[in-house]
Amino acid sequence: MSTVVNTTVNLGGILMRNPVTTASGTFGFGFEYQPYLDLRRLGAITVKGTTPLPRRGNPPPRIAETPAGMLNAIGLQNSGVDRVKEEILPRLAALGVPVIVNIAGDTVADYALVARKLDGAPGVAGLEINISCPNVKKGGLQFGSDPQGAAEVTRAVKSVTGLPVMVKLSPNVTDLVAMAEAVAAAGADALSMINTLLGMAIDVERRRPLLGNVTGGLSGPAVRPVAVRAVWQVYKAVRLPILGMGGIGNARDALEFILAGATAVAVGTANFVNPRVTVEIIAGIEDYMRQNGFQDINELIGLAHRSGE
Amino acid sequence: MSQLLQVEIISNANPAPNVYVLELDAPTLAQEARPGQFLHLHCASGQDPLLRRPISIHGVNRQTGRVLVMFQLAGRGTALLAERRDGLLEVMGPLGHGFTLVRAGQTGPTAGSGKGKIIVLGGGIGAAPLFFLLQELAAANGHEAPPVRVLLGARSAAQLLTVEPAATLGYQVQIATDDGSAGLHGPVTWLLAEELKQPAEFVYACGPASMLKAVCQLLAEAGVPGEVALEERMACGIGACLSCVCATRQAGGEEHYRRVCVDGPVFNAAEVVWR
Repeated sequence: MSTVVNTTVNLGGILMRNPVTTASGTFGFGFEYQPYLDLRRLGAITVKGTTPLPRRGNPPPRIAETPAGMLNAIGLQNSGVDRVKEEILPRLAALGVPVIVNIAGDTVADYALVARKLDGAPGVAGLEINISCPNVKKGGLQFGSDPQGAAEVTRAVKSVTGLPVMVKLSPNVTDLVAMAEAVAAAGADALSMINTLLGMAIDVERRRPLLGNVTGGLSGPAVRPVAVRAVWQVYKAVRLPILGMGGIGNARDALEFILAGATAVAVGTANFVNPRVTVEIIAGIEDYMRQNGFQDINELIGLAHRSGE
Repeated sequence: MSQLLQVEIISNANPAPNVYVLELDAPTLAQEARPGQFLHLHCASGQDPLLRRPISIHGVNRQTGRVLVMFQLAGRGTALLAERRDGLLEVMGPLGHGFTLVRAGQTGPTAGSGKGKIIVLGGGIGAAPLFFLLQELAAANGHEAPPVRVLLGARSAAQLLTVEPAATLGYQVQIATDDGSAGLHGPVTWLLAEELKQPAEFVYACGPASMLKAVCQLLAEAGVPGEVALEERMACGIGACLSCVCATRQAGGEEHYRRVCVDGPVFNAAEVVWR
């Protein structure tokens, strides 16, 4: 007989029945994956980046495979907050799974506009501020690489919503801890990290960049050590719950992040390889807990720090 | 509905240099698949290469439950697939929006108007899904069939892999090769231009982008409707990641990006925007 383990976590006010969500942009709006898994088993569903108005996105090719990873430069293609709110969120709400909406824009006012429109929208449990998309000209990294800009966006969003607000940080900065401290001081309820690493690849036969956008964001197993390090450093410095992500492909990868200090984890690129990977990770975490005598997932959060210092 | 399946590899043929045909034991896929759809194949046992490979369905046998996929060596993923001889292969499918079957003697948008022939045109390895289309056209239309012209092109005779299968279905095939080693010495689109001098009802095309661009131009000039199957680098294969987009424009509408994996791979030839 298997013992019941508690996997419930509180990610800055977002209550999750298990610590596994999806990384924005890799899971669409969830329904795309419905043929392969029961979406209700997820701790939360984090949906595609949403902007005030529809966006076309970048010209193709938008992806390139790299060693144990991939580059993407989608460019936040989305149908705009109004359509997301009216057509998609009510359907997602019916699932009864917390929904985290990733929000983006060109200006501080854009972020605030999207946040205000989503305040009270059905099923939305929290917002993830995307100040770390490397593939758009404005917004994105412009705020994500400057502590003051990041704090300004965070304050603007917090002032117009009662929802928990998480800020998604970029690894493409000199001092990630300074960024985390700035958004914490500005009132963020949680941090998510890391967004993709800025990279590029060149087609040697054609002698030109592989991506239509020239540069893109690197994700997949190749980035995992960078992401684990980021979570480890920020956990030590900032008292905010962390949503850890970057190359998670199985339960052991997810546990690495939790042991480094993540309260919850997001699975991204691995969804493209195995559409069932999220539910397999949830089961794998529970197995690990039983095998190692942990009754509560919260005991594991940051546990590696006790022996790692 | 698409499923994640472990299917058995029955055989792996190598009919031409760098071209492979996997025969899979997959009864549910054989039943549900439609021409123009694809399978998303898991190639590596580890994490490198990372992504699946989308490969179009070459043919099915609904009686035996077998499915054929034909592919050309293109990189590390296809190299791993080429080495597989037996065992289980993890596939997602059937995926995507396939060809619209023109049916003789029916009404509605897919009705045969009786105005003329159907043209099926393929270039290189891109002809792979057309065999499945020809199977289904033969099954749908039987003896009532509008005449079907099959036009196949390749770099040279050795790469004309769909000619023989098409002939076994009873189709007459016209050939063009870049090097003149078989049929017309020139692009297969020259054969299409010739065929379009007489009335045609519908054209199906699949092949390299440069060929499809020329096909779309010829169809626009002739005012003949048709469908083209596109390819693009793909990640999820199920419409979530927005990686595999192509530019399209519906009549009178704005240009926007649509997903090759779910909105395609088969698109209305008049809607694809070429650069």
